[in-house]
Amino acid sequence: MSKKYAIFLTALFCLFIGGFLAANLLTPDRDFSPQENRYLAQRPELEPRDFRLAWPVGDSGDFFSGKFMSDYETYLTDQFVGRDFWISAKAELERYSGKRENNGAYFCAQDTLISRFDEPDPDRVADDLGYVNRAVENVDVPVYFSLIPGKVSVWADRLPEGAPNASEEAILSQAQETTQAEWIDVDGALRAHAGEEIYYRLDHHWTSLGAYYGYAALASAMGMEPTPLSDYEKTTVSTDFNGTTYSSSGVRWMEPDSIDIYVPEDGIQVTAWNSAQPEEGVLYDWSKLEEKDKYAFFLGGNKPLAVIRTQNDGPRLLIVRDSYADSMAPFFTANCSEIHLFDPRYNKTPLSQYVRENQIDQVLVLYSVANFVTDSSLFVLGQ
Amino acid sequence: MVFSSLLFLFLYLPVVLAVYYVTPLRWRNGMLLIANLVFYGWGEPTYIVLMVFTIVADYIAGRFVARFKSQGRDGPARAAVAAALVLNLAILFFFKYWDLIASTLRGWGLDLLPTLGLSLPIGISFYTFQTMTYPVDVYRGDAQAQKSLVNFGTFVTLFPQLIAGPIIKYKELADQVDCRSYHVEQFANGVHMFVIGLGKKVLLANNIGMLWDAYKAMPAGELTVLGAWLGVLAFSLQLYFDFSGYSDMAVGLGRMLGFEFLKNFDYPYISRSVTEFWRRWHISLGSWFREYVYIPLGGNRVSRGRLCFNLMVVWGLTGLWHGASWNFLLWGLYFGVLIMAEKLWLGRLVASWPRAVQHIYTLFLVLVSWAIFALEDFGHMGQYLAAMFGFAGGGLADPAFGYYLRSYLPTLCAGILAATPLFAGLWHKLPKKAGMVLLPLLVLAGLLVSTAYLVDATYNPFLYFRF
Repeated sequence: MSKKYAIFLTALFCLFIGGFLAANLLTPDRDFSPQENRYLAQRPELEPRDFRLAWPVGDSGDFFSGKFMSDYETYLTDQFVGRDFWISAKAELERYSGKRENNGAYFCAQDTLISRFDEPDPDRVADDLGYVNRAVENVDVPVYFSLIPGKVSVWADRLPEGAPNASEEAILSQAQETTQAEWIDVDGALRAHAGEEIYYRLDHHWTSLGAYYGYAALASAMGMEPTPLSDYEKTTVSTDFNGTTYSSSGVRWMEPDSIDIYVPEDGIQVTAWNSAQPEEGVLYDWSKLEEKDKYAFFLGGNKPLAVIRTQNDGPRLLIVRDSYADSMAPFFTANCSEIHLFDPRYNKTPLSQYVRENQIDQVLVLYSVANFVTDSSLFVLGQ
Repeated sequence: MVFSSLLFLFLYLPVVLAVYYVTPLRWRNGMLLIANLVFYGWGEPTYIVLMVFTIVADYIAGRFVARFKSQGRDGPARAAVAAALVLNLAILFFFKYWDLIASTLRGWGLDLLPTLGLSLPIGISFYTFQTMTYPVDVYRGDAQAQKSLVNFGTFVTLFPQLIAGPIIKYKELADQVDCRSYHVEQFANGVHMFVIGLGKKVLLANNIGMLWDAYKAMPAGELTVLGAWLGVLAFSLQLYFDFSGYSDMAVGLGRMLGFEFLKNFDYPYISRSVTEFWRRWHISLGSWFREYVYIPLGGNRVSRGRLCFNLMVVWGLTGLWHGASWNFLLWGLYFGVLIMAEKLWLGRLVASWPRAVQHIYTLFLVLVSWAIFALEDFGHMGQYLAAMFGFAGGGLADPAFGYYLRSYLPTLCAGILAATPLFAGLWHKLPKKAGMVLLPLLVLAGLLVSTAYLVDATYNPFLYFRF
């Protein structure tokens, strides 16, 4: 190696590591990553109390416990210059190296991303099923229960061949066999329409069409007359929806989804509780279509409690639910006078108390399988 | 701190290199000592106290050994060596093996010792082995006692090889610590080695490691014969590229700072016997045990019974060095038995076989050993080995095996080829001009791709936290 060549190689390396050091210092930190749909770590600060020493060492201040250092590494990774580019480049490299998944999302046929479904903790599943049973004992009105399968089972034919996943079917049959609530089969209703766009390809939720099929199955089982699909007019409100699986997978080569709605929002009054105070809510939050997380368009996103009041006669329905119910609730406005959407993740009111105070006629516990088997907040059902 | 992190690559390393080269020569070791301690203390700063204590104690012991020797007093000199060894081994034992002994005794119903749950100081197995060479080398006259505490501290804590080797003997580094010259050619060579090592770790080891993790987590009932072998093949490649990648990065970083370390791996998977495998795998550990344990025990020049005993001691200790868990002891003894058999009669038999059979024989035994190494729980290990040999009833293969094989085939092929001297051979056959054009492009590509994988750092394990 000649001296000149050695200088060239040395300079190349030093410019690379030094260049990124400088670029990281010079570029401003971001609060939020729209691509990943999450808040990014910020530079950790060191304060005098972080230097407190204690025994065991893990209880010391952030410096001596090592928390400051690990926070700093997270910060550096989150704020690395060109982060979005590196993440999509890595996903592309994985694809070219023959991989059929990245960061837990399978690359599936028809521009679809499907998150891997891992074997759930059997104790958690048993506990959650037990809470639903306790709800049946604690309230005097009928309790219906259903779980929504994900695309990992309904769209299993799109998965790469042999892709390993735990069985959602096993959870569904376990729930059906052990529950004391009125079990409603949404799985069959969705599978009958598996060839249609019933899920977003790049998001874990069902589409409004999928939510309609779910609604039709649920409403009939609860003694209501579902509105025929042909009575609705479909409106496409967005053609640029890159959802949660898009965010987590790093995959940037697939076509975005469209968001459709079927139910007009006229004559419907929504009251939302983000805190203890009620606020005026909306069935559709149009401003969310300008943001990254466009699924929040439905009812404005996650909230502890939302009450939808219609001009119809009909029962007062309480849905204990996850976010899948946001896009389904509009369909129930045709059948119910009030729909109470109760999210135990953020709302710790005992269920029996809520049912009594609001003269609820019917309770529906409706979760996606993936959320139900990991949720740790369902205990409010048993209270 | 680990090399394969954004923090190291894009903050620690550029700052340390810049400060190192603007520091005047006479202050460089002092500056390096501080940088080493920052590297070591990152994450667990309290253990810096332990490190400083080790440095000072061994430094003083070395001075005593030298003084007694110069006075011709062999007894006190030996006592000083023994004191230093006992101290180092006590520290290693306390932090690494205390809980193993305590919980094993408890398992036998002897509730004598409390378990402490202390975290293992990073790299303790590597640096205590290094510091132990110092009083021995001084006593044997292989090296002079170090006069400067700073220089000695720099030797002990030298960040390129502090946490994952290679294990350097004092006599190998003594001259370089005191005085070394700096050449830009050496730096450029270091860049070359470092990027090879980074690529091995980030692109091959981390990637293939995910395949092993999938099989390691699989419930015993789902393991198939081919799947179990695919899993253990993945682990064998992960460990090799992780470890040898770390060693390459260490050698590269050493060169950037003006040091030359001996190589630690020499294509172990092309070996034709288990004995040869251990001459090519983790060379610095093997040579440490040979020089400081096996030969002092009498080495080869002893009775057959004593030879067997010596070998089992050395290999039992080698196994336990890899982690405080009994499966590592079993793993070490497994190799002890094989190497003993090869020494006594098997070696001659193996040598008479066709070359291909020798390779298959070696790889088969090494792959089986990795199942023992990787699975600490004996129940799990038994189930896994049973699955490998078709006794688990999981069948030959399942759709998941097909999925994993298709997904990982290109990476596995790249790994298998990279574990042989093929690429190095091709590189040397290239016309010089082509190599000169290609090298910077490959260095740049290696850095860019590794950066992409590190920014999306979903999987970047550190395998030596048990060492």
